[in-house]
Amino acid sequence: MRNDRQLGSWAAGVAALVMSLAAQPSSPLAAQSLSPRDSALHALNRLAYGPRPGDVDRVAAMGTLRWIDQQLAPDRLDDHALALRERGFPLLAMSRDDLARAYLDAQRARRERQRDAGADSTMRPGLNADATDQTPAALRARRLAGELQQLAVMRAAVSERQLQEVMVDFWSNHFNVFFGKGADRFLLPDYIEHVIRPHALGKFEDLLVATARSSAMMFYLDNWQSVAPGSQPPQFARALVRRPELAARMPQGINENYARELLELHTVGVDGGYTQADVIAVARILTGWGIERPQQGGAFAYHDWAHDRGAKVALGDTFPAGHGEDEGMRLLHLLARAHATMHHVAHQLCARFVADDPPDGCVDDAVAAWQRSDGDIRAVLHAIFHGPDFWAPQNVANKVKTPLEFVVSAVRATGADPDTTLRLAQVVARLGEPLYLHVAPDGYPERQDDWVNSGALLARMNASVGLAAGRLPGVTVALDTLVPPSLDVAALLDAIDRRMLGGAMSAHTRAVITQQLADVADPVARRNLAIGLALGGPEFQKQ
Amino acid sequence: MTITRRVFVKSGGIALFSLGFDPLFLGRAAYALARPRPTSPDHKVLVCLFQRGAVDGLNMIVPHGEAAYYAERPRIAVPRHDVIDLDGHFGLHPALAPLKRFWDDKTMAAIHAVGSPDSTRSHFDAQDYMESGTPGVKATTDGWLNRYCRHDQEHQTGAFRAVAFGPELPRALAGSAPALAIDDLQAFGLRAPQDAARDKLTRAFEALYEGAATGLLASSSQEGFEAVQQLRQANPTQYRPGNGAAYPRGRIGRALLRVAQLIKANVGLQIAFLDATGWDTHVNQGASDGQLAARLQELGGALAAFATDLGETMRDVVVLTMSEFGRTIHENGNSGTDHGHATAMLLLGGAVNGGKMLGRWPGLDPAARFEGRDVAVTTDFRDLFGEVVARHLGGADLAAVFPGHAADPAKFPGAIRT
Repeated sequence: MRNDRQLGSWAAGVAALVMSLAAQPSSPLAAQSLSPRDSALHALNRLAYGPRPGDVDRVAAMGTLRWIDQQLAPDRLDDHALALRERGFPLLAMSRDDLARAYLDAQRARRERQRDAGADSTMRPGLNADATDQTPAALRARRLAGELQQLAVMRAAVSERQLQEVMVDFWSNHFNVFFGKGADRFLLPDYIEHVIRPHALGKFEDLLVATARSSAMMFYLDNWQSVAPGSQPPQFARALVRRPELAARMPQGINENYARELLELHTVGVDGGYTQADVIAVARILTGWGIERPQQGGAFAYHDWAHDRGAKVALGDTFPAGHGEDEGMRLLHLLARAHATMHHVAHQLCARFVADDPPDGCVDDAVAAWQRSDGDIRAVLHAIFHGPDFWAPQNVANKVKTPLEFVVSAVRATGADPDTTLRLAQVVARLGEPLYLHVAPDGYPERQDDWVNSGALLARMNASVGLAAGRLPGVTVALDTLVPPSLDVAALLDAIDRRMLGGAMSAHTRAVITQQLADVADPVARRNLAIGLALGGPEFQKQ
Repeated sequence: MTITRRVFVKSGGIALFSLGFDPLFLGRAAYALARPRPTSPDHKVLVCLFQRGAVDGLNMIVPHGEAAYYAERPRIAVPRHDVIDLDGHFGLHPALAPLKRFWDDKTMAAIHAVGSPDSTRSHFDAQDYMESGTPGVKATTDGWLNRYCRHDQEHQTGAFRAVAFGPELPRALAGSAPALAIDDLQAFGLRAPQDAARDKLTRAFEALYEGAATGLLASSSQEGFEAVQQLRQANPTQYRPGNGAAYPRGRIGRALLRVAQLIKANVGLQIAFLDATGWDTHVNQGASDGQLAARLQELGGALAAFATDLGETMRDVVVLTMSEFGRTIHENGNSGTDHGHATAMLLLGGAVNGGKMLGRWPGLDPAARFEGRDVAVTTDFRDLFGEVVARHLGGADLAAVFPGHAADPAKFPGAIRT
């Protein structure tokens, strides 16, 4: 077994070497000026949610490129610690049906309460819409919703397969579904587990098709209500005789919502060269792509009765009359391979991993790898991580962490242990990124301008000081083994810099903290203040 | 690299500090006092109050002169003798009685039949559209108030320029211009058990960020500490409303009190946003009394207290209420109303062209209804909001605030005195 694994990683290493040699003339690491520890820290900041104590030394010792290759093959990484933790999340054992039932129970209880009390519900997008509802069913529904958010934070903090978790976050935003919209309150867990996660490092086309064939996406972007004009379900005629008022509630024609976002956000991008006529054609091609029982957590279903069987022309391709579900699959296949899609998605990946405004060369390398590999996300990432731009000094520590990245990296840096309560996810939410609750289909932004503002920074400082003092809810910290309390300021700062900041502490930060510690007599308070300032300070906001 | 105006303006602020002003927090009080106050005479404030859940405009501003109103709502219509008449045709719900004096002194107006050109009856979509300011376009990432802030840099006045009073930043304020969400004024800033510890932390972080390499990180933290300092001076724990104003209990009153407090503190507040929930009256909504009346009572009492508290300062303030859509003309089987189309909104403030009903009333005649059942929209909400932005706030670029909507003063409902 051991030999096999070694052989496997050796083979992967050779393959990587061949690919990188083919892509550029010399080894990327040889050309850049980072020390082995700095390279390790950079890789850990980008491919992972920052280093845990000891990670920088470990990765530098094994070779950063080798660690990157390991992260690109997550299935070979042992992750039993995560598997143990996942047992604390009952959500994972629930099916879509179970979840739907939990939510519908809560809804029914609320309606009954309203009818009795004459009270009304407050409609506000978000999960806190019914925060005043304290019935057991409502509490359970809220607990399950929070569990999904906490699960994401816990996995990001604990998993050995860090790149996998980073990519799950990336795709969850690229193919964003808002958790607060109607049936998506119970459809989303299944979407994250079975649509996003299995494909996060697979083929882009598979991921695109999986999202298009998910009830969560079909509900979020209304495609389940998109039908050929004049069509109605076969069993509907009889019901209509009994209840003629139902006619007004039936979808009356196409809904362009999903078609537009499919082009604008998921594939070719807003500059992808499509027109309004293309949006309509795409919507017509996808008529009938819907949900089995929309209000009960049903699976994706294709309804042939709702499909527009006429001929269409979309993005220059002809879709002849008489086709059904198959033409939607053909469309997704074409979109997944469109040059504009490669460029759009490659640009986003480079913005995530290299710089908010990525250099053209990096995007071009990623597109070339996409073409060579037929949209294999792993190969595209491999090209980005081995390109000169990824390692260029101006692209090191040039991105600001998102709230999720900040919280998780702080938890990892302090070797803290997230619990299964929902509180750590609530910290991420308070800092501005309530997970899965971005209303618009574009997902959370990647640029620093969207995250850096005065209120958010104060909140990060408070969270850092709280974490260092063991007062941050949702985690247990044990700093004593990591950075023992000490009155020797220089030794204290050395330990913090090496074990928590990966050596990134600036001379300025060091000087300021040294000055601030001077009048703190208690060694524990001194240590905690130093850590709080280090994590809340400017270096730790960057990756 | 392109330097955006925002970064440039902020870096300018930082440069000022290196010219000999005391850089440290506690030493800055003198500077903060000496600094030209953002409240020059032309400093205008807009307070947006979102009634989430779709308020029943017909029972808020009652068309008591319309027989159809009474015919359609046998159980929930507000009886004529309870309505507080405004112009012979419309009147206030009795729970809004405290607002009548502002109508009489011509600082309050109401507009009916206002709403979205999009026909959705989904709370989610309609709130989204009213906040993004782009009905029918879901991909818009920022809100109209944030776009206003981004494009009108002249009124850039620091950390408190745009503030939402609640735990999260609402969609209307989301975007690249800085905006704060403040749930609790007293908790804004760094938290520590004692004042001394808090001051020490503040000094330390301030010093850390002053040396930060990245312009945006440095300037944003600078703004944050300035805000903390301004707020300290405003002393939120000691606030006493002016002119004997008494805010009603409840969220609306609490939030409006904070808005008044920030306005009086001269911290540069220009845009305030708050939510009021509980308007989705599908069941037992009541008539002169009942569920809706209770919500309106809180709203009316809070708005009246706010205007009283601010007194003369209301000259520079406009409060605008909004709601994602209205409700059905016909009452439903549960003595409530279902999701409709157009609704009514209120405007309060010295600049308001008050004492009159604005907009064009389409009537309740079945032929004039939207999809045969709801009040039709005769004023696109963007024309109302746009007028407030242009004529009250002095926003010059409406095309940037409401992209895809041709700004046309001829379509403004005339809500602001010119």
